[in-house]
Amino acid sequence: MDSVFDELYNKYHQDVFQFLFYMVRNREQAEDLVQEVYIRVFKSYDRFEGKSSEKTWLFSIARNVAIDYFRKQKGWKDKLMEKFDWSASQVKDSDPIPEEIAVQKEEIQWVYKSMEHCTMDQRAVITLRFIHDLSIAETAQTLGWTESKVKTTQHRSLKLIKRHMETFYVKEGSNSDEKVRVER
Amino acid sequence: MKKSEWSDREIEELLRQMPKVKDHRNPIDMNQNFPFKKRNAFPWLVPSIATAAAVFLCIILGTKFIGGPTSQLFQEKSLNEKSLNQQITLKKENIQPKDQTFSGSDNREPLKSSIYENEVRKGKVITYWIPDEQAQNIIPISTIVHNIKNKSRLDVFNEKMAQLNENEWGLDDFYPINADFNFNEKSGTVDVNVPADHEYGKGSSNELMFINIIKKDISSNSNVKKARLFTDGKPGIEFGNTGIKNEIMIQPERHHAYLFYYPNRHESPYLVPSIEPFENIRDAFKAMKKDRNGLKKSMHLKIKENELSIRNKVLYLPVERDSKIKNDQLTVFSYEALLLTAKEFGMEKVVITDAPIKQIGPFDLTKENKVPIAPNMRNIE
Repeated sequence: MDSVFDELYNKYHQDVFQFLFYMVRNREQAEDLVQEVYIRVFKSYDRFEGKSSEKTWLFSIARNVAIDYFRKQKGWKDKLMEKFDWSASQVKDSDPIPEEIAVQKEEIQWVYKSMEHCTMDQRAVITLRFIHDLSIAETAQTLGWTESKVKTTQHRSLKLIKRHMETFYVKEGSNSDEKVRVER
Repeated sequence: MKKSEWSDREIEELLRQMPKVKDHRNPIDMNQNFPFKKRNAFPWLVPSIATAAAVFLCIILGTKFIGGPTSQLFQEKSLNEKSLNQQITLKKENIQPKDQTFSGSDNREPLKSSIYENEVRKGKVITYWIPDEQAQNIIPISTIVHNIKNKSRLDVFNEKMAQLNENEWGLDDFYPINADFNFNEKSGTVDVNVPADHEYGKGSSNELMFINIIKKDISSNSNVKKARLFTDGKPGIEFGNTGIKNEIMIQPERHHAYLFYYPNRHESPYLVPSIEPFENIRDAFKAMKKDRNGLKKSMHLKIKENELSIRNKVLYLPVERDSKIKNDQLTVFSYEALLLTAKEFGMEKVVITDAPIKQIGPFDLTKENKVPIAPNMRNIE
């Protein structure tokens, strides 16, 4: 019986799924990629040395799977170019919002939409740090980076999201007289 | 006006409020989609043996023809070689699908559904008994809870019961139970306190279900022998049919046969103990061969229950020599039902003697297999 594998699956597959969901922004795709992650886990878990925690190890595999997925995507270069062309991408709102997000308050929807404009690395950092609540050290371990690189990327991602939030506010929120504030 | 209203901290806060997104697929169905779980360690072995055998045949027959004097024979030989080569190719083609059927058609490895000792580690196993959609049967659903720290089993039981996904599992929405469960160290009882406006006393099926589930939940998760009942802190719960009840005696649930229950819209069955207990293990095995009280037969192995023997809590159970045991999901569930039934009669391990197949799913039939800790594993998060 592959009890270690089963445990890795039972314990973490929801985390892996959620991480992939926010990376690829599509439930069906995330479901397929979870499977790919665990195929890779199955091929290599007997070599897992325990230098990092199981969770960060699984996230690092999930991130690689997501990167491979984007590489295989048709026209990914165009998507990447848009990331550098701010003027072209700032009003872009292509992908439909998943149901889970659509039922949330407006600001959460804006954050989700803003994340689309982040690079893969930026998205991975903010997903791990804030949605999965990993520490700077754990995030660095997952991504194989230094802690200072995680901090810099995090800072840039937050700035980028903030900038897009502004745009959404002007575009969608300015009709309302209410001042948009975060509920604390 | 284009002005940012959000600080970095506020954006962080919003990110933390992003919804937790879950994979709603059934873990068993998902696991079945994994194409790899049991890989053949030597995928080249069977085709190689077949090729070697064919080459050997070729040599034997070939030598016979070489011995012949005429050119006609040489011609025949080359023709025969040709046809043999064709046979080899055919053989190779035939062997591959045959090899695949060993590990189940379409390469899916059948999976177990219960929880076994080696999976629990430092976690705790909690079993919840949940009614089916028709309130006919009560289905045990078990989960492993990790990272418990100093919490008692009852704390974990209380905490997790709000997170059960009964509807998703094709069962009735029963939890969380509208009651507080507390362990009273003095009396050694579990005290069950319902609010004054509880509805468990309304209708005979409601009260029966409530009492049975309390009994089974406590029996499966503790060694407590008695539950005391309270309404809003005062002793007793009033039930429509049975009147006021102050306590329930908890008997260990034993000597049942495990059968299958198929919930609506689900392909995989749950393994469910029969309502009535049986006098001995032979009768229980016999009962598994027929549908019973809304449960479906679970014995799909041709066991010879009359020839079974028991030594040191190990059950030795022969099967018909000519029986064809398939390595598929149904057989794995059937074998697990057998293990769970054996556990009901105090067995710790089971050995299938004369098994015509070495492996079914994750179970190695050449060895003794431990009985499960609990049936019907589901994840609760």
